[in-house]
Amino acid sequence: MSAIAYRQYICHACGYLYDEAVGDPDSGLMAGTRYEDIPDDWSCPLCGVTKADFSLYEAPSLEALRAQAAGDALLKARHGAAGVVIVGGGRAGWQVAEALRARDVHVPITLVSACAADVYDKPLLSVAMARGLDPASMARESGTDAARRLNVRLMAHTQAVRICADTRTLRTTRGPVRYDRLVLAHGAQAALPPVLPARHVWRVNHLGAYQKLRTALGSGPKEVLIVGAGLVGSELANDLALGGHRITLLDTQTSPLARWPLPQAGQPLLDAWKALPITFLGGVQVAGVEKLGLRYRVTTTCGQVLEADQVVAATGLVTPSRLASSAALAWQQGIAVQADTLRTSNPYIHALGDCITVNGQASRFIEPIVRQAKSIAADICGGAPVPYVPKAAPVRVKTSSFPMTLSM
Amino acid sequence: MNPADLPPELATPRAPMLEAVRAIAQGPLADQAYAIDRGTYPADLLKQLAGAGAMSAHLTQADGTAGDYPLAIQAMAEAAKVCGATGFMMWCQCVAGLYLQASGNPALMGDRLARHMRGDTLGGTGLSNPMKSFAQIEALLLKATPVEGGYLVNGTLPWVSNLASDHYFGAIAAVQVDGGCAGREIMFMLRCDAHGVALKACPEFSGMEGTGTYSVHCKDLFVGADDIVADPAKPLIARIRGGFVLLQCGIAAGVIQGAIDSMWAVEGQLGHVNQFLEDRPAGLQAELDGLLARVMKLAETPFDTSTDYFIDVLDARAHGAELALRAANSALLHQGARGYLMHSEVQRRVREAQFVAIVTPAIKHLRKEIHRLSAEEMPA
Repeated sequence: MSAIAYRQYICHACGYLYDEAVGDPDSGLMAGTRYEDIPDDWSCPLCGVTKADFSLYEAPSLEALRAQAAGDALLKARHGAAGVVIVGGGRAGWQVAEALRARDVHVPITLVSACAADVYDKPLLSVAMARGLDPASMARESGTDAARRLNVRLMAHTQAVRICADTRTLRTTRGPVRYDRLVLAHGAQAALPPVLPARHVWRVNHLGAYQKLRTALGSGPKEVLIVGAGLVGSELANDLALGGHRITLLDTQTSPLARWPLPQAGQPLLDAWKALPITFLGGVQVAGVEKLGLRYRVTTTCGQVLEADQVVAATGLVTPSRLASSAALAWQQGIAVQADTLRTSNPYIHALGDCITVNGQASRFIEPIVRQAKSIAADICGGAPVPYVPKAAPVRVKTSSFPMTLSM
Repeated sequence: MNPADLPPELATPRAPMLEAVRAIAQGPLADQAYAIDRGTYPADLLKQLAGAGAMSAHLTQADGTAGDYPLAIQAMAEAAKVCGATGFMMWCQCVAGLYLQASGNPALMGDRLARHMRGDTLGGTGLSNPMKSFAQIEALLLKATPVEGGYLVNGTLPWVSNLASDHYFGAIAAVQVDGGCAGREIMFMLRCDAHGVALKACPEFSGMEGTGTYSVHCKDLFVGADDIVADPAKPLIARIRGGFVLLQCGIAAGVIQGAIDSMWAVEGQLGHVNQFLEDRPAGLQAELDGLLARVMKLAETPFDTSTDYFIDVLDARAHGAELALRAANSALLHQGARGYLMHSEVQRRVREAQFVAIVTPAIKHLRKEIHRLSAEEMPA
């Protein structure tokens, strides 16, 4: 039995380890052959260099290696060129791209959008009929053109799936995307109560859905049932009625625009609608929707049965939480941001538009978006801050038969 | 202190099954990994691993104890760290057991399931084609025509793994009525030794040749009630799809960990040059640890049927495949020429990682399915 433990010798040329315990039987060195006893003409079985190119090898401890590698500065420097990644191809996303480009012509910008990211004015969805706009040509600029104009890498028709905050990577359905800064501008989506199944009811929250609804309505007058008589529901009812469609507008409240005082909003609107094919049914709650051939039957909890060619839900919005929760972002009915900088609870992630809340308050209007985008661009690019200041803005109700401006 | 002196509850490791799997993996499996890659089907090793409980941890145990998906994934990773092909075959055996147990069919559950769990018998899964069919990627290849007492199944599956002449696997066939598809599918256990079944050798793969992979030809194969897993198949698929995909993360986790370990193995000698590589072992380990934490959390609720959950599972599986490719390639760059030697585990692992990335559901399938599931549903 050997008194000295077997040792290992490493080949400097190829890294082969000669282990005395194992030997090199193919070259005639039996297990247990000491390094000193190897003939000088022995050569490395892998690369052929001679014994002189070997030296004693002592495996370093993994802990020591880890400590050594952790001090490696090169490791940290390689994320530098990822740039800004924006999630959302609506107004908020493009405004951030423009505001960033205005400040920095070089910063790489990637915009990830679930749709084509065509640029359009969302308020037009409420007045397209009255103005005779063709739904197919409401986009001001294609996403591809906007991307070219702003030197943005556009990832269209791409779902953002998860934020890996530790590696600053956005996981998408077209591969992972690294970011230095991430801006969430993905908006909100319709809050559908379970009694309104998605396969039966339309939601008009973006151009693509609006175009499909208009295609489904076709050319002749149709019966349309709209659930929810808030801003969106009332505007849509008004516009579709002007297009000749017969509208039934439902709400749990007893008048439309019930967020505002009746003398200011609801009653004048109802008066104005007397000339239009709009029937308002207040104080009712939908119990269910079913498809009957090509039409839909809507029942209410009070036992009314209504039929329509199409059903539209305008029952409010909710912010999708998938991305925010994957990055453990602070959440208050939406992505909670600091008012002045629009920063989320993660220092590398900003958010704006319909997906955010400031002090728990969402503000899903157009006006703040440009100001928010400028604040974010200033915060990301450095220089003098441009703090965002939330303020109550008057709301234009685009009910063209009775346009009004409401104050909060 | 001698462990034998301790009271039994302290002397027993927390997961004795994992210890047993590790011992097999780092002993006899490590010795055979090269041969398995080149074509040796390791029936004995698979039976040893099954005997240790490695391929049945996720199933409800005979005493009623609930299945432990995280443990099953860890066991698979222990083996895949040494041999990706073996990790993959463990997954095959795992999901075949899942089908047997989820069937609720007494003919498949009792003794047949018990023998499967012990590893006395081995099986696989032919659901690559159906999974792609349900994700609207391709059409179903097997057709089932109703006959007295069951169905006659015809068609060919191009490659099914972990097979031998006395094995079996879960399959799905489209039910035919009057020459057309009835819009319904049956799921059944296909016995390789049944009349009308022929296993044919596949073209040579670039690696993982010892996985018992054959094309399966069915000519008027009779499937009776005793072999039915689900009729119709879709409700059962909806229930087990999460677990099916999640278990595969064990293969990826093992391949990634093996790659990271082989980077550290040369760090002492080559760290001074390897520091210039973009993926380093510490960073990859942190990413793997984060991914594994996600997988283990998802594995606590494998039968969650919500869309959001399934998207998370698909994304974790995709992340595993992407990371396996990066880690295996980077390990080869770390090791240099010695990793490129024919017998080196490092270049074998590059091919194993490629397998993880292309086996159903492949990275592209996963992304397409997430895309499909994320789309806003609107009236037709």
